[in-house]
Amino acid sequence: MVINPIARVLAGTLTLVLAACGGSQPTAPPPTQAPAAPAAAPGAPASAGSGSVTGKISFEGSAPAAEKVKLSADPKCAAMHKEGLERQAIKVTDGGLADVLVYVKSGAQGTEVPAEPALLDQKGCDYSPHMLVLVAGQKLKIRNSDDTLHNIHPRPKDNQEFNIGQPRQGMESEKSFDKPEILIPVGCDVHPWMRAYIAVLSNPYFSVTGEDGNFTIKGLPPGEYEIEAVHGKLGKDKAAAARITVKAGEAAKLDLTLRG
Amino acid sequence: MLTAGATLFLIFAGGLVTSTGSGLAVPDWPLSYGMLMPPMVGGIFFEHGHRLIAATVGFLTLVLALWTARTERRAGVRRLAWSALGVVIAQGVLGGLTVLFLLPTSVSVSHACLAQTFFCLTIALAYATSREWLAVAPLEIDGAGVSNAATFATGVVFVQLLLGALMRHLHAGLAIPDFPLAFGRLVPHFESPGVVIHFSHRVGAVVVLLAVVRLVLSALRSGLRPLRRTATAALVLVLLQVGLGASTVLSVRAVLPTTLHVATGAALLGACFFAMLRARRLLSPVPGAPEPAAMVRAAA
Repeated sequence: MVINPIARVLAGTLTLVLAACGGSQPTAPPPTQAPAAPAAAPGAPASAGSGSVTGKISFEGSAPAAEKVKLSADPKCAAMHKEGLERQAIKVTDGGLADVLVYVKSGAQGTEVPAEPALLDQKGCDYSPHMLVLVAGQKLKIRNSDDTLHNIHPRPKDNQEFNIGQPRQGMESEKSFDKPEILIPVGCDVHPWMRAYIAVLSNPYFSVTGEDGNFTIKGLPPGEYEIEAVHGKLGKDKAAAARITVKAGEAAKLDLTLRG
Repeated sequence: MLTAGATLFLIFAGGLVTSTGSGLAVPDWPLSYGMLMPPMVGGIFFEHGHRLIAATVGFLTLVLALWTARTERRAGVRRLAWSALGVVIAQGVLGGLTVLFLLPTSVSVSHACLAQTFFCLTIALAYATSREWLAVAPLEIDGAGVSNAATFATGVVFVQLLLGALMRHLHAGLAIPDFPLAFGRLVPHFESPGVVIHFSHRVGAVVVLLAVVRLVLSALRSGLRPLRRTATAALVLVLLQVGLGASTVLSVRAVLPTTLHVATGAALLGACFFAMLRARRLLSPVPGAPEPAAMVRAAA
């Protein structure tokens, strides 16, 4: 048979592929909708107290300069930002660090799940907010406010990863994360500059710093707590924590510094 | 030839998808955002573009299989064409699965490897139907040396491509950030699987270079111009490939060198595979063995 040399070669190659590339790693299960969040009382946690923790998160180190985003890949995004768009991963104003999650790491009693969903909006080809905080089991509402399509792709380690598309303006989807997990990066693979973080907590006591780095965690019952401050870009390795005692009706003061 | 060329371009486009991080820019399959033709913006341009080129290659392969079934008298060639069609369909399904399952390493690496295999199939089909295959009678020269060298080079390059695909899909491309040394040493500390895979790929590059040099020397000894040309092309490609590999690391995985590294790897595999086919076709494995051309005539 004339074709025999080729047939032999191809049979060998195919065998090699099947042996080498079949992959022994089990394939991941298909993405599924996480169970719906349990019902919970609206507003403040049921066990809300009158104490609070307030303070400022400062930054020490050199923050990277703002990066100019190349919007030309999507003319609709470019049209939304005629003056251009800059992305500042670490925003510092007067020493205060913005977008820092400050939360009760330990000491909180109760795990009430807010009934209201937390909203992650895609607006102006950017995320709002850049640090979104949920309680495990709370619904996450994802909205596309843009007249262009986005995909939403969180990359959790402990929760179920998913990737969904929202091709039309005004589309909304609901998801949830079952397990507490600090700092889940979320991004849009269509527009790679779009990046945000989702934090899934076990309790509803948290705050996210404003532009000036200030924060207030409200509604805390009296007690001793461990408070941690963590920034998405700096990561968990550079988080700062402290123990603090909260008294009824009083605002405990806590300032922390994150180092770059 | 057209299908083989389109396949090489498809591999380049597939490389662009991973180099730009656009593998999940289209979250659904077989449609794209529920559409046949979504807006080609951002990462969708790369991912959906790859799907469109793949569909074109699939169509070309279907035409090739039907054409071969209609006109080709050799059953082996007809089987080869139908195999190519089966492989390209399997490749499309693997591509879909890797999107739906969010890029699991095993599926993504299988997708990468099957692409190279399909490319070799198209080369085999092109050669089996070429004038050189049909017209030339094997020379009474012992071709075992060059044939073995080409077979070894093809196998080594394929393993190297497998390592490259693993490195790419495990995001270990910068696990060793310097070149030509590794963390300033000849042999790094193997502190993570990424470093192991990355360093294995570098060692593999040396093995591939030696295998291709051996192929060139064997081809030169054979005295046959077509073999010398193919082997020399393989040597040029392997040197280019080493340069592109270095550029990939030193440019911190810039899109162009990273993608060209993928495509040149495929071209190198194709060159070694073609050299193997040519050696087996043009030279007699054992002096005095029946001539394949005579067997073609007898079969006809």
